[in-house]
Amino acid sequence: MTLVDQNPAPSAAPEPASSRRPAITGNPWLPTPGGVWLVTGIELRRRRPTAKGWIFYGLLLAIILGLGILLAVVSGGEKTSMPMELVLVLVLGAGMLIAPSLAATSINGDSSEGVLAPLQMTRLTAGDLALGKLLASWLIAVVVLLTMTPFLVYAFTRSGWHWDELLIVIGVILLVVLTSTAIGLAWSAIAARAVASVSLAHLTTGALLLGTLLAFVFTQPLVSETVTDQSRYVDYESLTDEQRTAYENWDWSEVDPSTLPCMTDQNPYEYGVAHTERTAWLLLSNPVVLIGESSPIISYDTWEEDGRAAPGLFAEMHRWVSDSRIGPSEADLAGEQWDECAMLVAEYNGDAYNGGNGDWEAEQEANSVYPRAPWIGLGVQGILLLGSLWIVVARLRVPYVKLRQGSRVA
Amino acid sequence: MTATEPEVMTAAVSARGVARSFGSVHAVADATLEVRPGTVTALIGPNGCGKTTLMLMLAGLLRPDAGEIRVAGADPRHDSAAVRAAIGWMPDQLGSWDNLTCLQTLTLMGRGYRLHKDEARERGTGLLSMVHLGEFADRPTRVLSRGQKQRLSLARALMNDPQVLLLDEPANGLDPRSRIELRTLVRDLAADGKAVLVSSHVLAELDEMVDDAIFMSKGRTLGDEAAAKVADAKRRYRVSTLDDAALRSVLKNGGVPFDDEDSGVVIRVGNEEEAFQALAWLMSHGVKVHRFGPAGSALEQTYMSMEEERR
Repeated sequence: MTLVDQNPAPSAAPEPASSRRPAITGNPWLPTPGGVWLVTGIELRRRRPTAKGWIFYGLLLAIILGLGILLAVVSGGEKTSMPMELVLVLVLGAGMLIAPSLAATSINGDSSEGVLAPLQMTRLTAGDLALGKLLASWLIAVVVLLTMTPFLVYAFTRSGWHWDELLIVIGVILLVVLTSTAIGLAWSAIAARAVASVSLAHLTTGALLLGTLLAFVFTQPLVSETVTDQSRYVDYESLTDEQRTAYENWDWSEVDPSTLPCMTDQNPYEYGVAHTERTAWLLLSNPVVLIGESSPIISYDTWEEDGRAAPGLFAEMHRWVSDSRIGPSEADLAGEQWDECAMLVAEYNGDAYNGGNGDWEAEQEANSVYPRAPWIGLGVQGILLLGSLWIVVARLRVPYVKLRQGSRVA
Repeated sequence: MTATEPEVMTAAVSARGVARSFGSVHAVADATLEVRPGTVTALIGPNGCGKTTLMLMLAGLLRPDAGEIRVAGADPRHDSAAVRAAIGWMPDQLGSWDNLTCLQTLTLMGRGYRLHKDEARERGTGLLSMVHLGEFADRPTRVLSRGQKQRLSLARALMNDPQVLLLDEPANGLDPRSRIELRTLVRDLAADGKAVLVSSHVLAELDEMVDDAIFMSKGRTLGDEAAAKVADAKRRYRVSTLDDAALRSVLKNGGVPFDDEDSGVVIRVGNEEEAFQALAWLMSHGVKVHRFGPAGSALEQTYMSMEEERR
């Protein structure tokens, strides 16, 4: 044993414990740039793909490139937002599947492998470990985005979007993925078993994606008000023979339609109209809606003059969300007021009859250019991100006050 | 150790009345111990008696429910960072980053201790050759055998040149040669002024390694009572003769107290000088002694007598 010869450093290198560096006091937990970077580096090195992994990655890249080329060849020359929407949804979907899965095993997995506690024994703080692990998993989702780049560039050239609009949407997508990753990490800090934390992470993502939509649909009866149709018809029974002949033959040369007797519908039709403006925030907290609300507004009316592609999936989503945000119009709440007599008179005079309903096309156009509302979605994402990180840091702080149920320190 | 001169007389690790329970399970009920700098102290007890939990609390990873702990003068409850900086902890659970090399593992650990990259690398290389893993420096840790991982874990615990070493079952899975090397290494570290607390089941090993022993049973450290037992066990000499009946009558006639055990007759001697005199006296009385020596590991005897009491 030549321990004593090799162990101390007779050279200039200062020893950490014996040298008189300023003593560390307290129980620090805040992240430090160096610590976060180190943990991120460790995590990425540990996840370095094997040969099989690289082959798989290469295949994926080839498929994406092939798909991009195929799309370029098959589709015509006109602008279209479809490839753009497809690639953005793919990036979001892949990111929301991959990154949380990785994060959801990274604390309880490390703990059961026995590699977490040795790191906690070093000068790394709980914040370093939390942010480092978050970043490492998130960066893998960023790699997926980079893999998509060739496709994205092609899609962008066809989309009629502007650079800044693309950057904003990508930024929001990466934020959504970051939040999902943080949620996965939080579950990993809470649950003892990896199986549990991975399922819980995906369930949370599912709740955000589908749960908000279901909640929006199922709360509609709660915010509905009853609307009654009040239609007027020609009173067929009280028509004179002359009027009846004219009415049946649609011949108004002898009879003035304004003289026909009219009656109100005796069994008015009743139905509910939902005040969706009260529950639209449920929709706005949905991550996919958030992406739609962050993408450019495409006017249903003037998209061609604006140099845009025809309204696609995102524009349609924005229109629908705007419709819900605006809620029912006065006319919607008044019920359908179809008036046969008025229609006959209008027709007789050569006027257009608008049966008491709003102009559907005008409404669609108005909805399509209704201002975007990403703030609720961004707020939800921000709260979930910070809340999850808070849980992770609290759970990683040593000395442990409480341990995960069914786990031991390691 | 010059900088800590005023503290030399005080213990590097001290714990008083420490307790910790998990739910309704009292893992550690009442633990009191001291480890002085430059000494090796053994923590001995049956499986599940709370050794690991106690070590975790000393390491500043687990908060005690009650009691006082001081490590290098700091309280892990409030200054856990200072405690952890002063400690090298070798956990009972063997964990390593599978696809990182041994040297990478140590370098990254060192950087966790805020060492410069080159410094960490240099120190890691030195420690790897110290634990005889030099040839594995650039191999991934997944190729290591259990014993080799154990040695890597020890090197990892030494990365921050700690004042206090907590070794939880360090001899587990080591081959005989590695055990002897571990013993030498631990003695060397203590000679360097480090305070070492080591838990192990291989009691015969500990006998030659430790200065002091703390016995633990059902979450309690056994203080003076166990120490007295160890002291007594150290005095026990077994006498093997060709004719035990003759030996017994000689001892009876001479008024020498002895234990008549299954394995033979045991007498008590104070020290080696006394042992020599006892042997000479037996020979002078014509006892046909063919074997005369300490009655096995003192720690093992104490441990076994404790176990018997428990039944």
